[in-house]
Amino acid sequence: MMKHVFGKSARVSALVSLLVVSILSGCTGNGEKPAASVNDAEKNMPVTVKVFKSHMGVGTIPGKDNEHVKYVEEKTGVVYELMTTAPGSEPTEFLNLMIASDDLPDILRPIGGIEQTLIKQGGALALDDLLPKYAPNVWKNIPEEAWDIVRSASPDGHIYYVPKVFLVPERAPMIRQDWLDKVGLSVPKTTEEYKEVLRAFRDKDPNGNGKADELPTSGREFGKWMDHLFGMYGVAMWEGVPEWDIYEGEIQYAGVTKNMKAAIAYIRELYEEKLLDNETFLNKGDVWQAKINNNLVGSWYHLPANLRERYTAMLKGAPDAYVVGMPVPKAEGFEGFVTQKSMGEPEWMIPTAAKDKAEYSLKLLDFFYDQSNDEFIRFGIEGQQHEVVNGKKVILPPEDSRPIALGMRNLTTKEDMDVRIKETIPEDMQKMVQDVFAVSTSDARRIAGDGLPNTVYEGFPDIQSHKLFQEYLTKIVIGEWPIEKFEEFVDRWNKAGGEAVTKRVQEWYAKVKE
Amino acid sequence: MANTQDHLEPGSTRVSTGRFNLMENRYLVNMRKYWMLYVMILPGIIYYLVFKYLPLAGSVIAFQDYQIFKGILSSSWVGLDNFKFIFTYEDFYLVLRNTATIALYQLVFGFPAPIILALLFNEVRLMLAKRVMQSLFYLPHFLSWVVVGGIVFELLSSQGVFNMMRGWFGQETILFMQEQQYFRAIVVISGIWKDVGWGTIIYLAAIAGINPSLYEAAVMDGANRWKQTIHITLPTMFPTILVLFLLNIGNFLELGFDQIYNLLTPMTYSVGDIIETYVYRAGVLQGQYSVTTAIGLFQSVIGFVLLWIFNRMARKTEQGLW
Amino acid sequence: MRKTTGDQLFQFFNYAFLIAAAATMLLPLLQLLAVSFSSPIAADSKQVFLLPVEFTTASWSHILQNTGLWRSFGITVYITVAGTLLSMLFSVLTAYPLSHKQFLIRKPIMLGIIITMIFNAPMIPFFLTVRELGMMNSLWSLIFPGVIGTFNMIIIRTFFTGIPKELDDSARIDGCNEAGILFRIYMPLSKPVIATVSLFYAVGYWNTFQRAVLFIRDPEKWPLQTKLRAYLTSPEELAAVNLVLGDYDFNTTTLKAATILFATIPIVLVYPYLQKYFVKGSMLGSLKE
Repeated sequence: MMKHVFGKSARVSALVSLLVVSILSGCTGNGEKPAASVNDAEKNMPVTVKVFKSHMGVGTIPGKDNEHVKYVEEKTGVVYELMTTAPGSEPTEFLNLMIASDDLPDILRPIGGIEQTLIKQGGALALDDLLPKYAPNVWKNIPEEAWDIVRSASPDGHIYYVPKVFLVPERAPMIRQDWLDKVGLSVPKTTEEYKEVLRAFRDKDPNGNGKADELPTSGREFGKWMDHLFGMYGVAMWEGVPEWDIYEGEIQYAGVTKNMKAAIAYIRELYEEKLLDNETFLNKGDVWQAKINNNLVGSWYHLPANLRERYTAMLKGAPDAYVVGMPVPKAEGFEGFVTQKSMGEPEWMIPTAAKDKAEYSLKLLDFFYDQSNDEFIRFGIEGQQHEVVNGKKVILPPEDSRPIALGMRNLTTKEDMDVRIKETIPEDMQKMVQDVFAVSTSDARRIAGDGLPNTVYEGFPDIQSHKLFQEYLTKIVIGEWPIEKFEEFVDRWNKAGGEAVTKRVQEWYAKVKE
Repeated sequence: MANTQDHLEPGSTRVSTGRFNLMENRYLVNMRKYWMLYVMILPGIIYYLVFKYLPLAGSVIAFQDYQIFKGILSSSWVGLDNFKFIFTYEDFYLVLRNTATIALYQLVFGFPAPIILALLFNEVRLMLAKRVMQSLFYLPHFLSWVVVGGIVFELLSSQGVFNMMRGWFGQETILFMQEQQYFRAIVVISGIWKDVGWGTIIYLAAIAGINPSLYEAAVMDGANRWKQTIHITLPTMFPTILVLFLLNIGNFLELGFDQIYNLLTPMTYSVGDIIETYVYRAGVLQGQYSVTTAIGLFQSVIGFVLLWIFNRMARKTEQGLW
Repeated sequence: MRKTTGDQLFQFFNYAFLIAAAATMLLPLLQLLAVSFSSPIAADSKQVFLLPVEFTTASWSHILQNTGLWRSFGITVYITVAGTLLSMLFSVLTAYPLSHKQFLIRKPIMLGIIITMIFNAPMIPFFLTVRELGMMNSLWSLIFPGVIGTFNMIIIRTFFTGIPKELDDSARIDGCNEAGILFRIYMPLSKPVIATVSLFYAVGYWNTFQRAVLFIRDPEKWPLQTKLRAYLTSPEELAAVNLVLGDYDFNTTTLKAATILFATIPIVLVYPYLQKYFVKGSMLGSLKE
């Protein structure tokens, strides 16, 4: 036994010296590695491209012989090799480790600002010329406007990544039509009417259980998912986080505008009258969802595409439940809207080190943006991604034992959304969901800060995490602090780095406008 | 080094010829005689060198503007800039104060809890009851803080047990989670609830080593349960308690990110924002590895100084860690 | 033996307190159990307390039929058993010299070890170390980088220090060498602490998560806790893209409950089994007197 331990340790100690060197040097990063498989390509062999995408959920990683991989290979000559993060890992950290150990894939989906790290340090490949040549479908399906935003996010004006494009608003203010009917009111048109409706919800027992347990409107912790209350005052909000938009002629942080102050004052009144769930800032996701499911909430803000499960649960307790989209109520002196972020978020990029394979990586990407492949991309292979029930293809739920299928397209148009609703929502709910979308679409506006690179926050973690904003928002709304404290917040925010960040954002915006 | 002669043990046999000989000989003689002890510890030493000290050397990035793409060798040196960045962070003192306060509470209330529980278990005479209860007490340790956090929020909500009971007495609902005066108590109590049974195991093992005849003799002398506890049980546990206390002190400023993160709301930032939550914002969200490493070093130095002081004190009574 | 009223009163309150507290520790798991047998809608609507609502075994049959989960289970059992054995060996071998005055360099070494407990290595260098050792994607990466838990090793050392050194001497006279003393005398005397520390190690290995996330790229080698996260982290916002049509009697909430239990129950059962060693170690005290 001793001998064994000893032998092992001798080997280990020999490694130590090697280790010291390699750890100190880390990686040289931009050293280009010769890509062996390119030679294969010359012999007309399929090229293997390593694709990194995080959050793939449950399922096995498809091997070379997987039918999905084979099908894609047949069409493109490229074998994809999927790399993903383990569930529960921090994807940003995972990518950072990949960079640190010089282990980058051939094409990757950057997360958490990693694209800027690569661009700044010369690790990202400029795609301006390659895209039209090897990925014509990507090039023409993504609107020119989105490419301009991508150009503005790099110091030298090149295209370093393929952006995500989402041309329909994903989120919508919703309200219970059956509750409105019960209290004898119609969909509110102004903030005052909205208040009236909420009061009626609170007092007139619209869920009919004899208890005053209604929560007229509700949101989630950190002020998430109550964007409708901010939107009325023209505040650009994205899941409870203030965005950048034009205020008083200039691009600014929506969190420090007078619109925000008015919105907070209004929300504070709602809270005081118990029109806003008094536990709104304590609601974890599952608690909030349960409240909606159990017919306790009258008006909320969420993704209409997710309505199905909520609605099915509501029907159990309230057979005549019906949900409609609520047009943003008009606030005196403000221009309300539903915040829409459509483009600019990085979706795919190619590391410089994988330059030799870029052609194939882009060909693979192009396959997914080619509309003639839509059917395959959505449903995949029978028995793995879908099954046929009554002659209709039905997507299977993800499962550990089934292989994951790669999807690379992140471009959603109105048509895509219509198709998706038809496929994922039961027929008797389709009209309801489409109507909700129609209402929010007519109120939606793309904000000026759409596509802003997060490098503007560098060195100011508290500005980026919106910590200061959240603290003031919640404490003012629950009545612990007076609304006058808002001025103090603006002041502190500016001093804590907000001013510097604003300057960077304005410089960026000037570049976009060019 | 030249004065080694002063430290010579009286029993040394050899006469010094060179300056270091005696020193060397003493160790050499010892090594020759107890060579097996040195062989035994070798795997352990190699483990610590390879998996602890080698990566620990990477802490030099605290003095660099570390860029992952470049690696340690190519990143530029910035001296104490990262430390300056931390100490000039406007909320640094708030964060430090919150951390130290919660740490102190945990030490005062959380540390003795498993000791007391172990003593209570020791008084349970029914073997089966004792075993079943011990096994139940250690269950919450296996729940993650996400799950426990959810339970805490639910218990303290307007529909939760506590507000229900307040309702019986006609008292108003309190939303405990958004009132900062309750935050620290919630952290300490939930921490005890989750880990007290787990922490007890080690003391129970210590108590298990006590010979029952000691208690019998004490009973003969007329000592009641309380006296037996004070004079037999506690003294046997003492070395374990001391070691655990010292190890606790060494990690004084490390509270554990998961618990606080899962209990914190923006309304309790002013009392609950701690070093780890700041590191999360700066490190994970912004990838500032140099800054987070610098913070880690700062925490460790404080912990080490505290440990040094307490270890000196411990050595006067029993024995220290080293 | 005579019992005073004070004693009886104390006994009563002691039992009352311990039983009440133990009950609070059982409830969350009972609730998880109930949720795992309930319908998804009831679970999502938080209608389940301690009894299942709209009873269904769908979640459990989904999980138990899941070969991937069983493979992860096997991996976790493997690293738990192998890891605990290796860890105990390494720890005992390290603790023994450190508990002996004859080992002259024990103080500096002890200090050196304590330092690693207080000063944590930054993640990237740690990752690179393991990677350079060629352990990426190998189950060894889940064992060796933490094979000695310093805390556990010190606990063992504390117990070893308490063993009277006269025993060493008499054993030496009988012709034992150091290894003989350790395995023939120290180990049998330290059963409670060996059991305790083995439990600590076993639970640690069973809960392996962070290291798997860092070092295991191949999902086929993920341990149970990593698999479990797949159900725990299901950002509903992603569901908008991945929505699935079809009626199932389970969803992420019920699957999550079932998986937590699946991953917890086996390790929880280890402790009652080990408890018997806690009453058998009475020899140590007798020697001390």
